[in-house]
Amino acid sequence: MQGSAGLTAYVPLIVMFVLAGGFALFSVTAAPYIGPRRYNRAKLDTYECGIEPSPQPVVGGGRVPVAYYLTAMLFILFDIEMVFLYPFVINIDALGLFGLVEIVLFIGTVAFAYAYVWRRGGLDWT
Amino acid sequence: MGSQSFSDALGVDYGALAPLLIVLGGACVSVLLEAVLPRVRRRSVQLVFSLAVVVVALAAVIIRATSGAGDVVVLAGSLSVDAPGLFLWGTLLALAVPSVLMLADRSVEPGGVFVADPEALAEAQERVGAGSLRSTSSGLPSGTGTDTHGVVGRRGGAGPEPTTPPEMHTEIFPFVLFALGGMLAFSAANDLLTMFVALEVLSLPLYLLCGLARRRRLLSQEAAVKYFLLGAFASAFFLYGVALLYGYAGSVRLADIAASAAGPLRSDALLFAGLALLVVGLMFKASVGPFHTWTPDVYQGAPTPVTAFMAACTKVAAFGAILRVFTVAFGTTALEWRGVLWAVAIASMVIGTVLGITQTDLKRMVAYSSVAHAGFILIGCLAITPAGLSGTLFYLLAYGFTTIAILGLVSLVRSGDGEAGHLSGYAGLAQRSPVVAAALSFCLLALAGVPLTSGFTAKFAVFSAGLADGMAPLVIVGLVCSAIAAFFYLRVIVLMYFSDPAPDGPTVSLPGPMTTVAITLGVAVTLLLGVLPTAALEWAGAGTFLG
Amino acid sequence: MNPLPPPGTPGYTQALLADDPIWLTIVKVVVVFALLLVMTLFMIWLERRVVGRMQQRPGPNWNGPFGLLQSLADGLKLAFKEDIRPVLADKAVFFIAPVISTIPAFVAFAVIPLGPEVSIFGHHTALQVADLPVGILVVLACSSVGVYGIVLSGWASGSPYPLLGSLRSAAQVISYELALGLSIIAVVLYAGSLSTADIVSAQQNGWYIWLLPVSFIVFAISMVGETNRAPFDLPEAESELVGGFHTEYSSLKFALFFLAEYVNMVTLSAVATTLFLGGWMAPWPLSLIPGVNSGWLPVVWFISKMFVFLFVYIWLRGTLPRQRYDQFMRLGWKILIPVSLVWIVAVATLRVLRNQYGTISAPVVLMVGAVVLVVAIVVALMLPDRAADDDDAGSEPPVVGTYPVPPLDLTVPTSPPKRRRAVSRGPAPETAAVGSGQKEDA
Repeated sequence: MQGSAGLTAYVPLIVMFVLAGGFALFSVTAAPYIGPRRYNRAKLDTYECGIEPSPQPVVGGGRVPVAYYLTAMLFILFDIEMVFLYPFVINIDALGLFGLVEIVLFIGTVAFAYAYVWRRGGLDWT
Repeated sequence: MGSQSFSDALGVDYGALAPLLIVLGGACVSVLLEAVLPRVRRRSVQLVFSLAVVVVALAAVIIRATSGAGDVVVLAGSLSVDAPGLFLWGTLLALAVPSVLMLADRSVEPGGVFVADPEALAEAQERVGAGSLRSTSSGLPSGTGTDTHGVVGRRGGAGPEPTTPPEMHTEIFPFVLFALGGMLAFSAANDLLTMFVALEVLSLPLYLLCGLARRRRLLSQEAAVKYFLLGAFASAFFLYGVALLYGYAGSVRLADIAASAAGPLRSDALLFAGLALLVVGLMFKASVGPFHTWTPDVYQGAPTPVTAFMAACTKVAAFGAILRVFTVAFGTTALEWRGVLWAVAIASMVIGTVLGITQTDLKRMVAYSSVAHAGFILIGCLAITPAGLSGTLFYLLAYGFTTIAILGLVSLVRSGDGEAGHLSGYAGLAQRSPVVAAALSFCLLALAGVPLTSGFTAKFAVFSAGLADGMAPLVIVGLVCSAIAAFFYLRVIVLMYFSDPAPDGPTVSLPGPMTTVAITLGVAVTLLLGVLPTAALEWAGAGTFLG
Repeated sequence: MNPLPPPGTPGYTQALLADDPIWLTIVKVVVVFALLLVMTLFMIWLERRVVGRMQQRPGPNWNGPFGLLQSLADGLKLAFKEDIRPVLADKAVFFIAPVISTIPAFVAFAVIPLGPEVSIFGHHTALQVADLPVGILVVLACSSVGVYGIVLSGWASGSPYPLLGSLRSAAQVISYELALGLSIIAVVLYAGSLSTADIVSAQQNGWYIWLLPVSFIVFAISMVGETNRAPFDLPEAESELVGGFHTEYSSLKFALFFLAEYVNMVTLSAVATTLFLGGWMAPWPLSLIPGVNSGWLPVVWFISKMFVFLFVYIWLRGTLPRQRYDQFMRLGWKILIPVSLVWIVAVATLRVLRNQYGTISAPVVLMVGAVVLVVAIVVALMLPDRAADDDDAGSEPPVVGTYPVPPLDLTVPTSPPKRRRAVSRGPAPETAAVGSGQKEDA
């Protein structure tokens, strides 16, 4: 039976994680030491194509257009749908016709919301 | 495993599930209608459709109840359609009819009580030009009439035309249907996970509905945020309780929890910790006792029809679930936990009455009165007897209709900037509008529990059930609190009949047919249940919960 | 240890890999890591050469044979550049973002099967670092985590262009991840497993590109969107956002973003090969030769198939102009997602019907297809013509203000009855120009 490999199957992933992480961390840590350091006030300013940088809000502050939030919420909606589809297709043979009807109903329910969002302009990027 | 075994295991009994399926399916179709209909036709179609859905579902409940079909557990034991469940469904759907009517009303508040639809807003902007957009969009009163300043760029130049405020959002109809579907599932849920999902389905639309008032936007949005944050906390409590109970019983089904509790001795810490957390979540929704803090703000801030819907239907659903949990899952251990809930009931009654006296806003007063009533209802829930069950069910029915009528009447008394919530606005109301004053007085008397109103019968049923189950101290506290509460109901009546109206006081608007029907229905049922309670009491006592 | 299942059955590679000693795992990881680094250097060179050739110029040809060492030289040079951190940047996040972006790019490649069973130093193993029961989900997970690096880098830079670039990137990646995930579902349905090795062995009798063409097309498109490559390279659109999310980065930190981008390309090309082109299996005429699908030779097939995808990446970049953001989102949300959903339902229905009622004859399939087509056309006709809307938006009456407006008696054509306006759309462009405060609590 598959799926019984346990957590040992993930060991290579962890090794890869450590190796890649080590490499990346080494790079970002080493960069300031390898490279030259010539202080220049303007160099540390925000880059805005050479003009005086406009006053900035606190880091990461400022407002994000609402369309991004909308996209994020829609993503969650469809991601959940996807999450349910994966186990379904794995077990499609066992679930048979009943499972198919159920999943079509499920997709259909999400499709209602999708149709609503589409028709009311939620998918149009301003 | 073949397909047959799955469908057998689930055992979909469509007859029993029909009301729930109708409402939830209707909600989905309603979303689709919202998507495909042109804006001008949306409101009327949605209104007719929602009403049809509710009425058909109600008919399905009545058919089911009268057909003598036995109690069944459906969908692999996740929902239980039994006699009390059907009564709760019937109550919810019956209360939904006046609620939907009030939600759709445009006669009291031009354009509807909900915030304007952006499309309609844009159209209005096009119609009058941008200058007056500000007043139309923010819903200030000047938006209704001859607002002509800054009208430039009007087409044709045909003089100042009267502009109606833009039409409201019509998404509220699917919201209400979804919330209603969640409530139906909530009161019939036979396992805790279904109950949690239903809790979320009923809560999320309500949070949104609270924030959509056309007037006093900030108050409304604040109410929505408060309700949402506290509601999310309550849901988390509920879920944590479910987790602990699962740890105790190894199952989320109510009957299995009861079986585990009755079984061989084991650590009760999980059981009672789980019950405590579960109860916190449930009591929050029912706005009982110390978990009521959201109630006044939300009742005041939400659009009045939404307040009516919440006050009536949410209470029914929440107490339905409380009854079911207490009876089915914890009936066997009642002696051990009942003492704590006595304290909760007493706290609820005392908080509701004492703080209710100090209120000067009628909607807040109704909110505190609902907290007090939640305490009374809890007495019925704590008596885990058939009499307590039927008394509680009857109380929920009676209270729901009375509250809807009161809030419908409150929405009629208006001053320049919307509803006149403050009590001083009701001074001398009887001289301006004897009918409204009389109806309001009657409903307030019903809340106070005066004989010949439904409130008296309901209180009598609940208190006698409590007395019979050995809860005399609790009943005495209940009686004292009722007496105190009567004071603030009577204060309003006295104010309406024996004070002189202020010269610039609020006016009473003439309701359109929909609000009229809703209020009439509420008052009529209040009277009917007070005079002839037998039929409803019998139906309420027709059966017991099925595990 | 469980007895090995017979070769070619699901779970065989998992059992085989479970026997790997730790030194073998480490060797494999290091080799794959080095392979990805070399692939990155090579890809940068290849891209410059190919794009150069497409633009009638030689491209880099100075350092090493054919200029092959050009990217190595560039990389080394980057290391010796000054590392600048803007004063407004959030120090910790600015520092860690390139790392977050790099790690998942490498980790995702670990689940790719490069070849069949081989013997390494006398040890029987599969040419794959790890075969997980949820292998393909690891790829999806890694591509989602990778976007955190981009978002955080833009956020932490404390600068408008990177912030915009990172937001775009987030919206873009999540939009296309849906299509990506949905297109994989049909493959999983036929393979009956999420393990990448099982998916490859399930393609023994035919690659999924022939069986599931729609899934393949959706996957190929969203793959490009997911890696932020032209024509979907909006997060780093240099004509609009300077450098996008990595505007403020320099030195090796910048190099890491560059590396992550190319490794992602390689990884997704490898995933596409695995899912749709039969992984390491030899293409058709060659596959007739016995023994061609065993030993070390399949690695060659795998790499060459992967390079087909990589070349298409470069080709796209050399050919297509960058898409506008709204067009890009429209493609993702309004075409790829519904198409994928309909396709999944169709594939699942066929599968279930075939299982329930034996073989489905071709006429039935055709009839079902015809019904679906008719429904689709009817739905398409019911939907309003959106193109008309866009024209209409321009003809709306202008808003009052100090701006010049057309004469009052100008006849404006009446709006068509089914005109719609976006819920989320702000005021019309003219209104926006006039000023603020016109749309409060709309």
